[in-house]
Amino acid sequence: MTGEPVLTIEGLARRFGGRDVVAGLDLDLRAGDRVALCGPNGAGKTTVLRCIAGTVAPTRGSVTVVSHPAGSLEARRWTGVSLSQDRSFYLRLSGRNNLLFFAGVRGIPRGEAVRMVDALAQELELGAILAKRVDRCSTGMVQQLAFARALLGVPRLLLLDEPTRSLDAEATERLWRAVEARPHLALLIATHRDDDVARCQRRIDLSCL
Amino acid sequence: MSVNSTVVAALVRRDRLIVMSYRLSFVLELFHGIVGLALYYFISKTFAGFSSSDLGPAPTYFAYAAVGIIMGGVLDATSSGVGYRIREEQVTGTLEAVSTAPVTSLDLCLGLMGFPFLFASARAAFYLVVAAILMGLDVGSTSWPGIVLVFLATGAAMAPIGILAGAAVLVMKRGQLISGTLVFLMSILAGMVFPVSVLPDGLEALSALIPLRYAFDGARQALFAGTGWEGDVLALVAFAVVLWPLSVLLFGRAGAWARRAGSLSEY
Repeated sequence: MTGEPVLTIEGLARRFGGRDVVAGLDLDLRAGDRVALCGPNGAGKTTVLRCIAGTVAPTRGSVTVVSHPAGSLEARRWTGVSLSQDRSFYLRLSGRNNLLFFAGVRGIPRGEAVRMVDALAQELELGAILAKRVDRCSTGMVQQLAFARALLGVPRLLLLDEPTRSLDAEATERLWRAVEARPHLALLIATHRDDDVARCQRRIDLSCL
Repeated sequence: MSVNSTVVAALVRRDRLIVMSYRLSFVLELFHGIVGLALYYFISKTFAGFSSSDLGPAPTYFAYAAVGIIMGGVLDATSSGVGYRIREEQVTGTLEAVSTAPVTSLDLCLGLMGFPFLFASARAAFYLVVAAILMGLDVGSTSWPGIVLVFLATGAAMAPIGILAGAAVLVMKRGQLISGTLVFLMSILAGMVFPVSVLPDGLEALSALIPLRYAFDGARQALFAGTGWEGDVLALVAFAVVLWPLSVLLFGRAGAWARRAGSLSEY
């Protein structure tokens, strides 16, 4: 795919304490790009995703999403995120009410949010998961919910942090089918799994920075 | 500063669903203030016959103290609500998830205090009914529009303290203790359960700078005199107008600090 970059990273570095967790990353993603972010534990994969999502500010360098600074309201509007899935839902609420809430905080009106959640439930076969309270869902079920949440609001950039870690083969297949059904989407996925990397056009190894 | 009502409504609805999922706790929260009312009712009966012009328009000490108890929940909800909710979101891990959505600081603050304020206001109305029916609280002269306006203006004036508590939690993690201590001290100085006239002169003068003073005075005027609450409402609105922009700005700065520190997902 061509066109203006959806994501532009220039010289991204992030320091925690006295250590550079990420040092000097450059990356452009356009619509339809599928890029795998790899590296050993502690290489900074999650930190890179957080810098793009705007929940961590870079120490140096710049990150823009659809030409807006990462973390700005506009950048967040265009970004779908799935990070630390197991600790990011309201456990007393059902999967459905969680998704409706996150649609609401994206500013999606109630009626449209209901339609959107219903469509995602059908596409990703989440019916049983949406009906359950999240504290009664398995880790794999919560991961599927997190992926659905990332797709709310028709994002242009999708950031996924090890989204298939606890998924079975069918759920993994449904995830990738959903990604392929969205050719306009730019995907950056942090993963250890070779079969996820094989689905991407490019692989960036953070340990080589 | 514009407000996205869809975002605020989503936050309020979420809190309502979560609170009501703990059914027993919800019922206990609804009724626990009645214990406080009963306490001051029987204290007042102990000193039956005592009257004082220091009580203002309140006919008895119980009437005086009941206003403090009834308003107390509303004060808690607005002044501590945001800090407490931010702390919960930190511990459960949902703060980062919400932060990836395009939510402004203003929408987040309004949304986080929305349900606690609405619930506390409904509970205050319930306590008023209980106090009137079971404990002889005289509401024959009450200006009902006045008491509603006092409640709303109190919420608006005290909310910035809650927002600043939220900012403190973003930076210090357990900063909600600061707002709790501050509100407790302000309650003592503002006449929650005893008249400010019994305070030393310097502290009595200080109480004029505390929005809670006008909240309690306005509520007592509206409930027992039916008039004279208008000035208190105006004072509360003035506090709100000055403090809201400052507190939302500081809340946003606290969020930016947490992003620079990389601590948004920490607890």
